[in-house]
Amino acid sequence: MQKSKKVLLLGHFGVGKTSLIRRFVSDSFSDAYKVTIGVHITKKVVDLPSGTNLSMILWDLEGTDELHLIRNAYLMGTHGVIFVFDVTRPATFQNIQRDLDIIKEKVKKAPVLIVGNKMDLVDPADVKRLLDENDIDSDYLTSAKTGDEVNEAFLEMASQLDA
Amino acid sequence: MLEKYKTQFIGNSIQFVVLDEKGLVRESDNTCFLLKTGDSLKEFHPFFESLEAIVPEANNEITFNCIHLESEGKELITDLVLRREDNALLLVIYDLTQHYNEYQSVAQARNESIIQEQLIALKNIELEERERFKDQFIRNFSHEIRNPLTSIMSLTQVLSQTDLNAEQEQMVQYLNQSNAQLRLLLEDILSISMISSGKLQLVEKEFNLIKLLNLLTFTYTAKAKEAGLEFVAEIDEKLPQIVASDRLRIYQVLTNILDNAIKYTETGQIEFSVQLNQKRANKANIRFEISDTGRGIPEAQLESIFTSFTQVYDKDKEQGSGLGLSIVKGLLRLMDSEIQLTSELDQGTRFFFDLNLKYPLPSSQRTDKKDEVLDTVVRKTLKKDKYKLLLVEDDVMIQTVVFKFLSGTDRFFIEIVSDGAKVMEEVVNTQYDLIIMDINIPNISGDQIARLIRDFPFKGIKDIPIIGVTGTLYDEDIAAYKAAGMNAIIPKPFAQEELLKAVFRYLK
Repeated sequence: MQKSKKVLLLGHFGVGKTSLIRRFVSDSFSDAYKVTIGVHITKKVVDLPSGTNLSMILWDLEGTDELHLIRNAYLMGTHGVIFVFDVTRPATFQNIQRDLDIIKEKVKKAPVLIVGNKMDLVDPADVKRLLDENDIDSDYLTSAKTGDEVNEAFLEMASQLDA
Repeated sequence: MLEKYKTQFIGNSIQFVVLDEKGLVRESDNTCFLLKTGDSLKEFHPFFESLEAIVPEANNEITFNCIHLESEGKELITDLVLRREDNALLLVIYDLTQHYNEYQSVAQARNESIIQEQLIALKNIELEERERFKDQFIRNFSHEIRNPLTSIMSLTQVLSQTDLNAEQEQMVQYLNQSNAQLRLLLEDILSISMISSGKLQLVEKEFNLIKLLNLLTFTYTAKAKEAGLEFVAEIDEKLPQIVASDRLRIYQVLTNILDNAIKYTETGQIEFSVQLNQKRANKANIRFEISDTGRGIPEAQLESIFTSFTQVYDKDKEQGSGLGLSIVKGLLRLMDSEIQLTSELDQGTRFFFDLNLKYPLPSSQRTDKKDEVLDTVVRKTLKKDKYKLLLVEDDVMIQTVVFKFLSGTDRFFIEIVSDGAKVMEEVVNTQYDLIIMDINIPNISGDQIARLIRDFPFKGIKDIPIIGVTGTLYDEDIAAYKAAGMNAIIPKPFAQEELLKAVFRYLK
């Protein structure tokens, strides 16, 4: 069975949304930071254990800390959201609850995964303490650089969209 | 004409595509991308695949800004308009690549700058936390080590006063030397911590500079002789006798450099020169210089020797913490000076620095006399044969040490209390002449007890002299203990003379 689902990647700028997609889609990584403007769209077809052939249309949106200002046209027809923050920069997750509320308001019913990226730069124990302090329950802690947990996060989203 | 200009202006930047209901191309002017009749837009770019469910209602249109479209090696940044026209869909592609690229450059610079700021702020917080942790660690370490060190030093001193055979005397002497080194090391670690955290404050007081220089000359002549070296001192006669500065810190700077000079010189001499550069107003600019005929310092290491824990030569062969010159550098900076050096391998090293010291001062001659008068008063005014002392201390070893130190004079009756909660009861029931009080004792701290005593309504109790003993050497702590009502603070570890001097000073 074939399905096509639109997945938005949201979060502050510089958190590694583009790098996560690049790792997932083409298994590559670049240290150079190039700011995304507007939206880049890529696609990856994944075969799920259920037998579904899921075409994930990944919308890599320009990073912003003002999620309420995202253009409505970008949000139309969204099936799932991956919210990405940078574990090395508290500014990208300190207001996560407010950001998630905005997402849930704008993209009703879509599953939302919370992903902390750049784990290769920090001690996991420090991150755990920091997230606990900020009351953040992340779904995945990834590294686009090493690939750690990247596929797992996207495939989890695919599974949820298949359900 | 208008059509011509319009074509010239927008001709290569807008593409019109007519689509059927299934998203297949009916017509396209192919201005930006090549689309053939019957092509599926879904296959052309994934953007269109995600649009399947978003088809505008009749006479409505949807605009998507800043969409990156790539096809056959061509990448454009576009605005897209999707519009329902009769039985077809119209797609308008605006190529705004140039415009958006300009915006991209601005966004790149802005975002990089913000991220950099955030990371720097974070780094600063981390550094501050590390510094706080280090300070606290050194503070605790210094405090905790002082009790056992006091016991070791003091008991060694007590031991040396007992009947010992020659071999035992030799061993006690070695013990004393090791104790002194350990104490110096501890002081060094504390000093460097206080300097680096900015907590060390200079205490400017009048003192006799000539006396200090003579003392150093005397001490280091003996030390040099012991090391088989010659010590040459040149003290300028024109130097002011009395100056105002932090005597202790100047002493610390000079002894660190002099000790180093002796340590790294195997043959030859150490020269200690202090010369007046100039006098202006009430300030004397003085050059301090210490040179040796030692092994010298390799050029590559001239900078790093002022870094903490650095030793130029094999650590196994050298004693010391490697903190000495780092302390010298830090202390001189506090005194608005800078340590300088020249060195030649196997020829020797020359350290020098200039200090601006205030002179002469109205009360110049009073300082020394004041101390002398005080000593005389202390010696002459003791009225009783025996005094009652209360020792408040929970560490049994320190109790033993203080007891031994004091009982040797045969001038005291000593009571010991090891629980802070019992001190007031003891003080009320027995008329004590003086209290020696550890700050960290169980239940109520020493400074809290001092406050209670000073607030007591009866004379004879509220004015009992209190001498605090503590492992803390931080200025703010000592100031707080004094503010609580303690007359004097003796830092641990302390020698018998220090304790007795303080006790006799406050006895009536």
